Amino acid sequence: MNKTQSLNRRHWLARCGQGMGTLGLASLLGDSGLLATDAVSPSAVVGPLSPKPAHFPAKAKRVIWLFINGGPSQVDTWDYKPALEKLDGTKLEGFDNTTGFFPGSVGALMKSPFKFSQQGECGKWVSEVFPHLSQHVDKMAFIHSNYTQSNNHSPALFMMNSGMRRMGFPCVGSWLTYGLGTENQDLPAFVVMSDPLGRGLPKGHSQNWGSGFLPSVYQGTHLRSQGDPIENLSPPKSVRGDRQRAMLDLIGKLGKHHLEAHPAEQELAARIESFELAYRMQSASPEATDIASEPKHIQELYGIDDQRCKHVAAQCLTARRLLERGVRFVQIYSGGMENQRSWDGHNDIQGNHAQFAGETDKPFAALLADLQQRGMLDDTLVIWGGEFGRGAVAQKADKPGRDHNPNANTIWMAGGGVRGGVSYGETDETGNEAVKNRVSVNDLHATILHLLGMDHERLTYRYSGRDFRLTDVAGNVVSDIVA
Amino acid sequence: MIRLKSQNQVILFIGFCWMIYNAGSVLADTPVVASVDGNHAAEMTAGTKLFRDQVRDILIHKCVDCHGGNSIESGFDITKRESMLRGGDSGTPAVVPRNAKASLLYRLITHEEEPTMPLEASKLKPEEIAMIGQWIDFGAPYDKPLVEAGDMTPWTERRVPDEAKLYWTFQPLREVAPPAIDGDGSAHPIDRFVIAKRSSAGISGNGPADKRTLLRRAHFGLVGIPPTPDEAKNFLDDSSPNAYEKLVDRLLDNPHFGHRWARHWLDVARFAESHGFEQDYDRPHAYHYRDFVIKAFNDDMPYDKFVRYQIAGDEIAPHDPLAMKATGFLGAGAYPTQITQREVEPSRYDAMDDMANTTGQAFLAMTIGCARCHDHKFDPIPQADYYRFVANFATTVRSNIEVEIAPVTPEEIESYRTKTKQLTAQLATFESDELPDRLDKWIKQSMSEPSTATGWQLLNWIASSRGGATFELLEDGSHLAVGNNDTYDEYTFTTETDLVGLRQFRIEALTHASMKQGGPGRASNGNFALTDIRVTAASMADSNNVVEAKLLNAQATHQQNKTNLSVAAAIDDNPSTGWAVDFGGIGKDQAASFQFEKPVGFNGGTLLTIKLIFKGNGQHNLGRLRIAVANESEPLDLKSQASETIPHSLLPDGDLTLGLKAVSEDKFAPLLAWYRQRDPRWRELKQSLDQHLAAPPQPKKEMVMVTSEGFPPIRHHMPSGAPDFFETTHFLRRGDVLQKDGEATPGILQILNDKSDHSGDWYAERPTDARTSYRRIAVADWITDREQGAGDLLARVIVNRLWHHHFGSGLVATPNDFGKQAESPSHPELLDYLAGELIRNQWRLKPIHKLILTSATYRQSSAFNEANFAADNDNRMLWRFEPRRLEAEAIRDTLLAVTGTLDRRMFGPGTLDESMRRRSVYFMMKRSKLIPTLQLFDAPESLVPIGERAATTVGPQALWFLNNPHVRQWAEELAGRLLPRLEDSTDLVVHDVYWAAFCRDPDEFEREVANKFLTEQIESYRASGEKDALKLALTDFCQSILSLNELIYVE
Repeated sequence: MNKTQSLNRRHWLARCGQGMGTLGLASLLGDSGLLATDAVSPSAVVGPLSPKPAHFPAKAKRVIWLFINGGPSQVDTWDYKPALEKLDGTKLEGFDNTTGFFPGSVGALMKSPFKFSQQGECGKWVSEVFPHLSQHVDKMAFIHSNYTQSNNHSPALFMMNSGMRRMGFPCVGSWLTYGLGTENQDLPAFVVMSDPLGRGLPKGHSQNWGSGFLPSVYQGTHLRSQGDPIENLSPPKSVRGDRQRAMLDLIGKLGKHHLEAHPAEQELAARIESFELAYRMQSASPEATDIASEPKHIQELYGIDDQRCKHVAAQCLTARRLLERGVRFVQIYSGGMENQRSWDGHNDIQGNHAQFAGETDKPFAALLADLQQRGMLDDTLVIWGGEFGRGAVAQKADKPGRDHNPNANTIWMAGGGVRGGVSYGETDETGNEAVKNRVSVNDLHATILHLLGMDHERLTYRYSGRDFRLTDVAGNVVSDIVA
Repeated sequence: MIRLKSQNQVILFIGFCWMIYNAGSVLADTPVVASVDGNHAAEMTAGTKLFRDQVRDILIHKCVDCHGGNSIESGFDITKRESMLRGGDSGTPAVVPRNAKASLLYRLITHEEEPTMPLEASKLKPEEIAMIGQWIDFGAPYDKPLVEAGDMTPWTERRVPDEAKLYWTFQPLREVAPPAIDGDGSAHPIDRFVIAKRSSAGISGNGPADKRTLLRRAHFGLVGIPPTPDEAKNFLDDSSPNAYEKLVDRLLDNPHFGHRWARHWLDVARFAESHGFEQDYDRPHAYHYRDFVIKAFNDDMPYDKFVRYQIAGDEIAPHDPLAMKATGFLGAGAYPTQITQREVEPSRYDAMDDMANTTGQAFLAMTIGCARCHDHKFDPIPQADYYRFVANFATTVRSNIEVEIAPVTPEEIESYRTKTKQLTAQLATFESDELPDRLDKWIKQSMSEPSTATGWQLLNWIASSRGGATFELLEDGSHLAVGNNDTYDEYTFTTETDLVGLRQFRIEALTHASMKQGGPGRASNGNFALTDIRVTAASMADSNNVVEAKLLNAQATHQQNKTNLSVAAAIDDNPSTGWAVDFGGIGKDQAASFQFEKPVGFNGGTLLTIKLIFKGNGQHNLGRLRIAVANESEPLDLKSQASETIPHSLLPDGDLTLGLKAVSEDKFAPLLAWYRQRDPRWRELKQSLDQHLAAPPQPKKEMVMVTSEGFPPIRHHMPSGAPDFFETTHFLRRGDVLQKDGEATPGILQILNDKSDHSGDWYAERPTDARTSYRRIAVADWITDREQGAGDLLARVIVNRLWHHHFGSGLVATPNDFGKQAESPSHPELLDYLAGELIRNQWRLKPIHKLILTSATYRQSSAFNEANFAADNDNRMLWRFEPRRLEAEAIRDTLLAVTGTLDRRMFGPGTLDESMRRRSVYFMMKRSKLIPTLQLFDAPESLVPIGERAATTVGPQALWFLNNPHVRQWAEELAGRLLPRLEDSTDLVVHDVYWAAFCRDPDEFEREVANKFLTEQIESYRASGEKDALKLALTDFCQSILSLNELIYVE
């Protein structure tokens, strides 16, 4: 290999902060033939988002996280607790009233208002709020014993997304795209969709998809629900079509002319090529998000014609199209900010969960079915889960609700590399606290990375004199749910 | 692992803790066990070897921290075989020699039993577990204890060994002279260091860059925007030998220098203007810190002062607004806006961590925060030092306070005095020259018109109080209650009147500055409660004829509610209800009127008495009131003006048609005093004077977010009663607030203290009346102390930051980390020389900038050289000027500058609005709404200190140049200005755009391509019937030029 090339690459690494293994020029240089013939061959340079090999072979190539924002109640969804019916109305002995957010509103143990029935080959007990998702339990691996460090939304959201309660750390999607790059340079690598009904962003806002100390290229791209899906996608009115092409040609010609005087500066070449990439992105993003082009039966499968869930249907369908086109990580937040705007059922747990399950059940189930029928489920990891669970005790109200509970949370995964129809970990008989095979957020993250072929102890970034990991100093892969 | 040898001791910096053992001794803890079988001895030997080679390391890294190192959890100490076999508090032996599967230790690490070990950490690797199992099966022998027996120092007292100070970071600055090059000592000192180093590596540097390149380089480096064509021409035409030096001086004096360099510092200070977390509330007064940094850099504030102000400006110079603004540094980090009961204490430790860690990284490039949960893994910072350092900030919180930004100037005082004199004289002249004539006219007129008084009429009331208040009759006829404010007072107003047929009366409850909240009541909240009113009329002709007037139809301008505090409640004969005016009525004039059931007034005169009773609420008595009566039977407007009659005592004695002539000598003065109140012109003049006197010049104050002590903390959603901070800081094992190990008193880092203790001599006695703890001033003194503290490192770190931004990489490549993980400096002598120069220049930074910019090292070209690159691909030897892309803010600012759309105004609040055209440093940094354009080009998230930014190249950046509406708009404005030139020829305009963007003529190729583009683009627009074809095409051209690499890469 040409020495200049490899050394130049090292030089670029230094530019981007030490310890970075992979920042560089990009497949940006691509195949466009814009480069002088003596310049680097594209394979010799690696872009910040170009695909990179995993640590070891793995089934999952991409991830979609259905984020159950606000904190779903495990005992009303997937963690069936027959004992809770018997204990309904009794006091939970030894309960710490500061477990949740409202120490003054702690009530007695409260049974689920929903009926449960056994589903699938595995016979999983599932709440009636999921008539569609319950048809897919044999694909799912349930973790009933997740716990977290905060009883407050934003720290718990940060924890679930970045492994740290505090702000300023890269989230899962950032680590994954840092480690693996993305398959389609014309689309963002890491896409986030939030509630399109005006109910707000998750608490902590865009920090939930921030890249922390990683370069900002690894931030999540928040897809807008109206207008251009991403910023700066539409050219000014007068310069569409040929005229913009003429501008690009001018930029290319003058840029190359400048480059001729600086043949060794690969950054310059990369940036010239980035304009061609931008030109392609202009059409790629609208095409990828054009769900109207989907056949009617697919639209209906997701529930696009169903008033109750059509907004989530549109997001799930968009997500599938993005994943299909090589996007690495997609996150969809169900619900907006807090209280009745999300799964945060402090009041009327029955009404709250019936509503948000109703908004998501059909589209989420359709996503699983659609991924499967396209052969994508085998290498797509689907995650369903929120920042914490909820109490087995009631939060007192006219219509009782349930308060935050950092000590128990159910999360399921399906698809790429996950064993279907299994349940891991247990809560106590009331469902209030994870007691067996407890799974920390670090464990969960270690498992996600593992399923994507990454060793969570080896995926590091040097910042501030320390090699940081998504899992900090802990984390064990939950191997029981890995196929 | 790093070994430092001294006196037979080896100090191991290992994972979680430091252990000292005697390298000389081999105190094998060989167990005395009866021979079991022939294999035993062999197994024990193999076990000892396994322990020494493998198991020991695993235990040290994964277990000993909690079991014999930092602490002895559950009474289980693994440092010695004896205690290992014995087990912990549970009483179960941890290890059954030669039977791993039966050993509790083994069952815990295999997760067969709970609590699984290591607790809350990764499970051991299978091969590690296997080795421990094998070791137990061999009999679990130790070759020696894990921790030397003598090292029983509690972790909170752990000392940094003297040897640690030998590391270059902690060494005093060396006095270094620049080496002579080939016997020539006249070259620039920086070049002499650089050339010496390069020569030893066999590398030669580039020749000087051309003048235009240098011009742009210096502009971008010092002010962050390119020169205008005129500035460029002036410099390029200046052939004097010191033209470049003058350029550097000019740029250092340019106010944009502060914009450019403040932005670099704000990265380090993780500065933002919102709290982050749940609600991300704004910090609207935080921008003052940004303005402080800009001003400090522009004024070339000595760096040690700059540092001291940021740590303890409020203690050092509380009356210097700049010092108060500077304290925004400590509080610039994120902080939760919503805190649950459980989070109160951890959140506070997080906040202190943010302050301590940022202080460490920004000023000393020391990653102090890494020692929060354990001793620093690489640097000599014991965990206990961390807690002592954090304790300096225990009582430090964010507050919004009014700060005097500018004192009253002598000019302002002088002008105020002049105006006072002028207004006083004006009034006096009016009183002496005009007022008597106007009184004369009034007397004549008032007499010439018959009394047809209608509406409200003021009478001459005499007021008294039962509770001991006294009344001052004010010039407007109102009575002001002063003196005692009895719990329940009762006022009596009496007057003699000739009026008959009175149908209603009015009580005005008036404000006055003497009352709380301005009144109108005398209660502590400005309220009153008039609970009952009694009106009696007595015939002056027949003293037996006394009637009590019944009151009806109460009305008021405002009443506190419609029930017990309504105006009707004042005439309901219920002493516990009455008229009050809170909830909207305090501080404003109020009035109430009441109708008499029957007309009041006797022929022959009436003695009218009104009693006002205040009984409902303690001290809720009226403060200033005026009473008027009227004859109309319909309720009158509550606010209409009342007419008056001259008090009887002032009535002129003679014929009123004679005017003043009818007034006797002794009545003249009092009558004039009474009259002037009614004279509109006098009142106008008096009001001007009063208003002026009430508003003497004030120092200018602004609300500033400071980080200090003793002011009300900024507080959002917290459990009631939860403290904003804790007076006492504790040592926390593993950083956990539930694992406290005693109190941590404030201290500084041992490693940077000449005395190697925790406090040195910096902690002075706190003045008894001090608002603050004087801990931060100790930190400020220590951090800038060259002799005994951290001053030398402080100087090294900042000159390295300057170098980093001028050359793209520091002499130490990691500007925020000078610890052992960092690469050693490429030019250690040069680093010390520059730090020394800084100190020799009284810590002023501009001389260092100039020193750097005038070196040949800085001025060399950026040309690539294959051989040099092969030998030194990172350019650590500085064989060329490293070309690089501008940062986000400089890209945007450059586009604004080149298109002539830059708004150069300085200071003041920022904005989130991307159409703002000021320098990008004036964007408001809101953590949940970071400016998309800046994010696109790698601006940090303002959450942690950032010393070096990444520079990525991705497609969305190109989309910004092509499609962003603001970029388009700027291009269009440039096109608009150049349009007349285009009407002459495309060639002219191409020339102009090239000068605007690059300060040069286009070459032949560029001219040709550009002219062709313009011609074709104009045709294209014309073909589709666009009437602005020229302007559109020119806009397209300008926008394309803005997109070129040459604009945003510094060569």
